Amino acid sequence: MQVGVGVSIAKDYIEAAKEALFRAKKYITKDKIDFAIVFSTVEFAHPLFLKTISRLLGPTTIVGSSSLAVMSNQGFLKHGLVVMLISLSEKIYFNAALVEKISTKSINKAGEELAEKLLSGAKDIHRKLSVIFCDGLIKNTADLILGLQDKFGKSFPLVGASTADNPVFQKNYLYLNQEIYNDAACGILLGGNLNFGLGVRHGWKPLGKPRFVTESFRNTVYKIDSEPAVKIYEEYFARKIPELTKDLKRIAAFYPIGIYLSGKKEYLLRNLISIRNDGSLVFHGDVPVNSQIRFMIGAKDSILDATRQAASEAKQGMLEKKIDFVLVFDSVFRFMLLGRQVNKELEIIQEEFGRDTPIIGLCTCKEYAPLKIMEYSESAYSHNQAITILAVGK
Amino acid sequence: MGGETPPLLNMLNILDIPFTPLDVAGILTIIFLGIALFLKIQRIKQLRLEVDKLNKSLEGMDEQSKLIIRTDMELNKIQEELDKKITSLYTLQELTRAISTTLEEPQIFKRIEVERLKEIGFEKALIFLYSEKDSRFNLYLNIGYVSEDVGIVKAFIEANGSQFLNLIKIQKTISSTSAVEGFIAKETINSLFTVSAFIFSVLLPKDGDKGFLFVGTENKDTLITEGDEELVTILTNQLGQSLENARLFEKTWNVQQELEKKVEERTRELALVIEGIKKISKRKTDFVSSVSHELRTPLTSIKGYAAILLAGKLGEVPLGVRERLEKINRHSDELVHMVNDMLDISRIESGREVMKIEPYDLKIISARAADLLSAQLKDKQIELSIDIPVNASEVLIDVNQIERVFINIVGNAIKFTPVAGKIFIRAVSIGAWIQVDIADTGSGIPEEAREAIFEEFYRVDSLINQQVKGTGLGLALVKNIIEAHGGKIWVKSKLGAGATFSFTLPVK
Repeated sequence: MQVGVGVSIAKDYIEAAKEALFRAKKYITKDKIDFAIVFSTVEFAHPLFLKTISRLLGPTTIVGSSSLAVMSNQGFLKHGLVVMLISLSEKIYFNAALVEKISTKSINKAGEELAEKLLSGAKDIHRKLSVIFCDGLIKNTADLILGLQDKFGKSFPLVGASTADNPVFQKNYLYLNQEIYNDAACGILLGGNLNFGLGVRHGWKPLGKPRFVTESFRNTVYKIDSEPAVKIYEEYFARKIPELTKDLKRIAAFYPIGIYLSGKKEYLLRNLISIRNDGSLVFHGDVPVNSQIRFMIGAKDSILDATRQAASEAKQGMLEKKIDFVLVFDSVFRFMLLGRQVNKELEIIQEEFGRDTPIIGLCTCKEYAPLKIMEYSESAYSHNQAITILAVGK
Repeated sequence: MGGETPPLLNMLNILDIPFTPLDVAGILTIIFLGIALFLKIQRIKQLRLEVDKLNKSLEGMDEQSKLIIRTDMELNKIQEELDKKITSLYTLQELTRAISTTLEEPQIFKRIEVERLKEIGFEKALIFLYSEKDSRFNLYLNIGYVSEDVGIVKAFIEANGSQFLNLIKIQKTISSTSAVEGFIAKETINSLFTVSAFIFSVLLPKDGDKGFLFVGTENKDTLITEGDEELVTILTNQLGQSLENARLFEKTWNVQQELEKKVEERTRELALVIEGIKKISKRKTDFVSSVSHELRTPLTSIKGYAAILLAGKLGEVPLGVRERLEKINRHSDELVHMVNDMLDISRIESGREVMKIEPYDLKIISARAADLLSAQLKDKQIELSIDIPVNASEVLIDVNQIERVFINIVGNAIKFTPVAGKIFIRAVSIGAWIQVDIADTGSGIPEEAREAIFEEFYRVDSLINQQVKGTGLGLALVKNIIEAHGGKIWVKSKLGAGATFSFTLPVK
């Protein structure tokens, strides 16, 4: 497998596309490039930008997304694009597909549709892994994952993310070949002689006493310990709903709740989207009734420690086989919390995989992955505030 | 059942209570159960106490957690603000560098880019400068607005011109969190400029149009801090400074352009004058050349006839007539000499005289000149000293012409050096040139005449010059010859202390 990563910060998106491709192509000696992953900041999301890449690459599948910031071996860019070109080895197969206008259909069915499209191109292949990108504005993505798993099978490894333009989530775009989409989800199915390792960690720590969700529906929690759910936030911050709402962005980023998973070391995080006047709380991701929850707190050190653990787990998952590239889905809230130290995450990943290993990543609002790759026979969870590191090699 | 009676039963029997063994067993069980119940109750009480204790410590821990979270939240806010400030300062530094490295006014505004603006937390910006000449606000920068929106904003600014002019006058930075009394309401600005938070900061270059920078964001979470206001003020100060520099530069540039234009005009005029002079000079050279040619024929005849008469071929010449004829002959010789010099000068000037350049030894030339002038030297008992070292002797010259140079200068030196004076010929090598110095201990040349002596027919107005004969063409010819070799000639002198004529000749 040959992989090349190119970056550009040129203002003109056509120039940027040319520049990034030129740089990425330098690492590829083979004639055939099988697929390209393109991550860009939102201002690049223009049809001409993708058409330029497509024209320059020829018949190559392009998959990607816009984001608040994109990551490459050179660091995070808040304005720019990064292109990863992949020329697969023999006996490695892939298929890419997209499902659009999700809001007009059942989200579960949209998941099934995407899975079917991905599977239709990979009938006689030993499927290994699916990587999914979803418009961050789509709600109830857990159903999309369920739909995908209904077709793939629950034990089939599924890694992905809902992409984020910024913490208030205003616009997102997905890329497939020459077209730009929103209200969509796209994915790649990889199979054949391929290995991968996965690490998912968040680094937030539980604080305060455990509580129980006594009334909830999907991602809305009505009662905690039989009291209005908002009380937990009112108590912890000593503020009433209007003041909490005013500071929601910061509260959501720094103080999610953690769902205790029996037998697991880490809590499954859910960050707050909104506080309703009736005192119910809306989270990114479902919070089942009877869940034991804790208030969570993150610190830069613990977050970076989690990055280290995720990178280490991803590497261990490769069982010392050669790693051809690394894909990173990094929560936008980590990006916010780390502030000026955001490139430390990349440094940690590079320490683990080496500086020459091609790395590409983007900021996300939800990350989808099993809790641990060694246990990937279990369903993919919808994570918040997590860093998902996927190492892929032959 | 032949066993012994149990002691408790025996006791009950003694008390005459009719209990069967079964009754006894029941009583015993009840007693045991009672004890067990008692112990259980005690244990539950103890556990409750422990649970209460645990609950209390959990509540205590929870309270501590609340404190931790509140403190953490405050710390995060501070950290965020610090991060924002550092990032903004970096961006401000970049912006400052970008706008201060151009001296073109339109370029200054172009260098404020949307990416940099976003780094300091805004995605919209407008710059308006008030033109005193047109009495209106003109737009110089637009980031984040379509032309339709700009039209609305512009109309609003025009309609509320006095308020914005007052803002410029009071030189104040205002924002959505620090409004000024009497200024337009925050809500109106938010709605018209389609933002949730904003800052207005004035642009005050010393000269020319003044105005203001508006920056805003649609992000509802943005709360403008004092730090933000300070930052934007620094930016506008820098913008004002850059505008000032650009305007100053433009002024200087215009003056320079004007000057250059004038210099160009004068150069053109001068070139025309020079061209005219050249034409006149050529005409003069041609005239001198043709007149000289024309003069030579009658002069030859005069000289010839004078010679015939002197030789007595036409009869005996009386002494008085002979003396006159000798004078005619001598003056004719001088006139021929003068005409020849004039012809040579015009030939060299016009380029008709081609120098026959060859390597030659200066020592030979100077010796030959000394030999030729030995009689005059002897007459005035002048000592001629020649010092030409080996490394400064070989030159590339037209031998005949340079010999004339030596004869002319040394001849002049003899003329102006008093009896028993000294003349020196020295040469020194200077790179690709040999410099020859011919010095005398004569009367010297007045300063005002040092350049003029190389002009044709110029003669220094002095007593000694009235006594010494000369045509005023010798040094002009010398100069022409030296320049035809690519060299230079000049004179240094001190009145009464002699003069030194120096000239350069090429080595290669």
